[in-house]
Amino acid sequence: MAARTAADTSTIGLSELDEFRTDEPTGRITLRSLTKRYAGSDIAAVNAIDLEIRAGEFVTLLGPSGCGKTSTLRMIAGFEQPSDGEVRLDEFVMNTVPPNKRPMSMVFQSYALFPHLSVRENVAYGLRLKKTPEARLKEEVDTILTIMNLDAYADRAPHQLSGGQQQRVALARALVMRPKVLLFDEPLSNLDAKLRITMRNEIHRLQRRLGITSIFVTHDQDEAMTLSDRVVVMNRGRIEQIDSPDVVYRRPASVFVADFIGRANFLDASAVAMVAPGRMTVHVLGQTIEVSSHPDVTIDSKILLMIRPESVRLSPVEAPVDGADVRGDIGRVTNVMFHGDTVEYEIETASGSIIASVSDPSVSEILEPMAVVRVGLATDRGWVLPATDRD
Amino acid sequence: MTTTLEKAAEPIADLSPAPRVRQRKARDTSVIILVTIVVIVLLLLIGYPLITLLGAAGSEKGLAALGAVFTDPGNLRIIGNTVLLGLCVGVCGTLVGFLFAYAQVRLQFRGKKALHLLAMIPIVAPPFAVATAVITLFGRNGMVTNGIFGWQADVYGLPGLVIVLTLSFFPVSYMNLKGMLESLDPSLDEAAAGLGASKLRTFFSVTLPMLVPGLAGSFLLLFVEGIADLANPLVLGGDFTVLSTRAYLAVTGEYNTAAGAAYSLVILLPAVLVFLVQRYWVSRKSVVTVTGKPTGTTELIAASSIRVPVLTLVGLLSLFIVMIYATVLVGGFVKVPGVNNEFTLDHFTFVLAGIGSKAMVDTTVLAIIAAPVGGVLGMVIAWLVVRKLGRMAGVMDFIGMLGLAVPGTVLGIGYALAYMTPTTVFGVQILPALAGGSAAFAGGLAIVMVYITRSLPSGQRSGISSLQQIHPAIEEASTSLGAGSGTTFRKVTLPLIQTALISGVTFAFARSMTTLSPIVFLTTPGTKIMTSQILAEVESGRFGNAFAYCTVLIAIVLCLILLFNVIIRKVVFRGRTHRR
Amino acid sequence: MKRSAFAGAALIGAAALLTGCSGAAETPTVDGEAVADTELNFICSPQEDWCQAVAAAFTAETGIQANYVRLSGGEAIARLSATGDTPEFDAWFGGGADGHIAADEARFIEHYTSPNADVIPAEYKDADGTWTGIYVGALSFCSNTDVLDQIGADAPESWQDLLDPAFKSNIAMAHPGTSGTSYQTLWTQVELNDGDEDAAMDYFSKLHSNVLQYSKSGSAPGQMAGRGEIATGIIFAQDCQKFINEGFTNLTTTFPEEGMTYEVGAVSLLKNAKHPSAAKAFIGWSLTADAQNIAPTVGTYSVPTNPDADITDDMVDLTELNLIHADIAEQGEKRAELTARFDSQVAPAPKE
Repeated sequence: MAARTAADTSTIGLSELDEFRTDEPTGRITLRSLTKRYAGSDIAAVNAIDLEIRAGEFVTLLGPSGCGKTSTLRMIAGFEQPSDGEVRLDEFVMNTVPPNKRPMSMVFQSYALFPHLSVRENVAYGLRLKKTPEARLKEEVDTILTIMNLDAYADRAPHQLSGGQQQRVALARALVMRPKVLLFDEPLSNLDAKLRITMRNEIHRLQRRLGITSIFVTHDQDEAMTLSDRVVVMNRGRIEQIDSPDVVYRRPASVFVADFIGRANFLDASAVAMVAPGRMTVHVLGQTIEVSSHPDVTIDSKILLMIRPESVRLSPVEAPVDGADVRGDIGRVTNVMFHGDTVEYEIETASGSIIASVSDPSVSEILEPMAVVRVGLATDRGWVLPATDRD
Repeated sequence: MTTTLEKAAEPIADLSPAPRVRQRKARDTSVIILVTIVVIVLLLLIGYPLITLLGAAGSEKGLAALGAVFTDPGNLRIIGNTVLLGLCVGVCGTLVGFLFAYAQVRLQFRGKKALHLLAMIPIVAPPFAVATAVITLFGRNGMVTNGIFGWQADVYGLPGLVIVLTLSFFPVSYMNLKGMLESLDPSLDEAAAGLGASKLRTFFSVTLPMLVPGLAGSFLLLFVEGIADLANPLVLGGDFTVLSTRAYLAVTGEYNTAAGAAYSLVILLPAVLVFLVQRYWVSRKSVVTVTGKPTGTTELIAASSIRVPVLTLVGLLSLFIVMIYATVLVGGFVKVPGVNNEFTLDHFTFVLAGIGSKAMVDTTVLAIIAAPVGGVLGMVIAWLVVRKLGRMAGVMDFIGMLGLAVPGTVLGIGYALAYMTPTTVFGVQILPALAGGSAAFAGGLAIVMVYITRSLPSGQRSGISSLQQIHPAIEEASTSLGAGSGTTFRKVTLPLIQTALISGVTFAFARSMTTLSPIVFLTTPGTKIMTSQILAEVESGRFGNAFAYCTVLIAIVLCLILLFNVIIRKVVFRGRTHRR
Repeated sequence: MKRSAFAGAALIGAAALLTGCSGAAETPTVDGEAVADTELNFICSPQEDWCQAVAAAFTAETGIQANYVRLSGGEAIARLSATGDTPEFDAWFGGGADGHIAADEARFIEHYTSPNADVIPAEYKDADGTWTGIYVGALSFCSNTDVLDQIGADAPESWQDLLDPAFKSNIAMAHPGTSGTSYQTLWTQVELNDGDEDAAMDYFSKLHSNVLQYSKSGSAPGQMAGRGEIATGIIFAQDCQKFINEGFTNLTTTFPEEGMTYEVGAVSLLKNAKHPSAAKAFIGWSLTADAQNIAPTVGTYSVPTNPDADITDDMVDLTELNLIHADIAEQGEKRAELTARFDSQVAPAPKE
């Protein structure tokens, strides 16, 4: 494979991109009661999910392995048949339409480039099938190759390209078809960390400019958060939450979502009073504070308080804590992990173990194991969730 | 040595990581010894007979025959026949193999296990079984052609040969293409579909081009098998003479061994050439998956437009195969198959208790001896080629494969010439006569050697592909823990390749039991070989005996294959199987 | 009793080798002296069951362990060529005399006339002791009566009958290059034409259109007829009879009225044999009536050469046939030349 050069990480030609885009917002996807049961299994891989994706939106299906995200994507594409429910594109039901007739393009995890065709021919494949006249075909292919910075490689064979370049070819091949919907099946999993970030940004830029409805499947929550307009968190065949990334992060709908996205501390707390719908006072870490709460929480619910590590505040035991921070319990540092931009501390308190994350620490500020600190919670960063058995 | 616990008090000598040396050249003495032994063995098995053969072909009589080969119009016709046969068998065999492989891997239907078994039966069947059955069923007075349809079909000659050779060799093509189809990335089909291609379009523009190396490889392999086969042209050839029968006739009919050697040479050269092309050019071009890791499984095709035609064809072919082997089975129980269908046990008595029993025992014993040796030798060569040898790997690989590339007749004549008399080097006898009645072990040794030579290539091939899938890091880990090459091979590599070893030994056994061409020249008073006995029975028209022999042979092969499997799994590897 | 080296090795399969040692055996004498050899290896050209019976009988009678390899005439000579001065065998039993003559020319035969050869008629042995005849086989037409009915022909009674267009693609004979039987047929035509080889070739050129194929093995035409694939095969009478007895019941044997040559199956001593005295004893034994009577018991119906041996119903009565006594030596000499001519002139010609 050719070594990665600076050219790999260059940006997409934005001026050409503008010429490429279509003006109307494309493809609205509606899933109604969509179910998939595989032969020989009683459990539904996808269990009657409902989802509306707006035209031009970038939606990510996020979840652990086996949650049903890939099956859902493949049902939208037409590679799997739904056991029940329907898939609609705009107002048309797609269930009986074979995949080669749906105006959607898919980018695969393994890129699926045709090894016996050159880059140019790979990209031209779909247009040839549509019997596009030769001149027009060449123009379209050339344009997309320029946009994706692949001109120099047009006549190479796929195995002569690096991973990033192959990815671009796959993308070019999908885009040149001007699909109504773009489908991505974990396309970045095979790339190394740095390249993954670069490609992620490029996809983001592309989609913003072109405005094509995009459905992206991944198990990497970083990708989900940075790329999406909305994130669909799935678990065991069902949708746990559909919201914009910041809402999913700050106001997770369940312990699962809270734990899956980012890192979370779950502290035992006791309800004191309901202040308003979605606001309550609770007693936690030896303090009483007011926090937002999940709509399902009532004064009688058993609750957990979720707090992200970056919202945990540490201070020396005697010293006052900066700002209007909540002063809390005393704890002992049991583990220190240096991440470069942050330091993570594992702290044992009377209420259990807490993880705190401090960003941009100076060397002298870094605590040693066995140090004693006071643990507090940043104002109004907590989130109350109902504590159910399954959690 | 200090006893303080102060860390970082003494500077560490070398902070940079040690350069990684991938051990490819044979450095330890045990490997050098092993290589020497293998080279000597290969020399004895293949090198010396071939050289002797070349010498005989280069002798006066031989050169005279060689000269005549290309000038005599009769001979040119024979060469033309041979090439034509090879081409037809190559094409038909690849086609049939592809149909079966495609149906098995891509189509949805019941009975996949049965189909697989059916496709593998010809491997365990002796060469004449199909030919004899075809004559009985489809000959001029065949039970089907004449009996049912009233046709006078002339099955002797090219058409009959193509049918029989296709049926006998298509399993090779089937296995090849099945493996290829199974390793195709299913997302390629989906990508094509996503871009608008119908299933048919996908097949022709994506699947088929990727299979081209496999198809080409199959064609070449079958071409070689077609031009080198002796057994079937002897029985079914009629007036259609090919080079192998010509060589046989030269030796047995015209008493001219040198001419036989010369004709054999004419088969040898294209066979080796084709083999080289297949190995070094076709396999280089193989590009099954290039990008990333294949994910997902292909959905089996249920569409009638494809299923119906393919499955019909496959079904008809399967019916044909079943009919043939049913004839073989039943034919042993009737007096004169096709003519007098009275039930009798005479033929089986002949084989199991009469004159035939000695052949049965001898052949089985010799094959049992040869099979493990062939399987292990193939595996050792594979290990040396993949792990230990550098530039010489290709050479050793090639020599090992010669055992199969060289046509059987050629090998047999070579062995007869080389080993019927004691082997002398510069006047000093280093080996007694190994073949022939007055040889050690009554000539059984030469036959065992031939068996080993013919069967080690398949063990070698499967060993090589198996070893290539094991990352060298696994063996390096063993070495870093202190194990020498030998120990690593025994404790780490061998358990991982046991499937390849088993298949190597199994195939070696099946091949040995069913081989004929080299054996015709090596039979002795002390050893009777089943395949040459079957030839004798077929030639004298005692089809009943021939069928009984064939049935018994197939039964023995199947039983012993099962036995080998069990023994190797349970005893050698003590039940520890490695499942990928 | 000494066993062969094969059994001495770890290979247990050798145990099945032995066809059994005898109890009551008489040590034979040759030239007045008792035979010291305890073993004998011979080439056996006729069919397997006769070979086995012969070997077993000899072993039982003399106590000498007899082993054989079944090789046709051509294969035998090829094997002998390969081993040169150190042959694996001591004697050659069966196969046409012309094969033995060719072997003699290549210096593989030791001339030997056994005292038992005295009773054998002169035309069935070689004056110099190159070979002695043990059986006689006459050429015949082996026809399938059902097929004859189909094509509307009678069983052929003459060579000329075979040329009848009714027999188109319904005759088979072996290739003279590989089969002694077939060469016999070739030589018969030469004899019938008083040595005119051109005229003989001419006959076969005419016959060519009626021939379905030239098989490799000598007796194959008979089984093709028996199987109903052709009407008539040209093979030895004893082979035809054997097929009939095996179950091909609609076969019938007829003879050409113009006459035919015959094959003399011979036995001979090989040069540099490892067990020469056993070989001589064997040769002597094979010429006795008792030994020759073994043949019909295993389905071999060729006519024995010893006048005292039994002529069974399955055998042909030689006196009833128009036998042509060919010069076997000349026949052997011309073989290579004639078969080459056949190969280039007759066989490749297109059939009408």
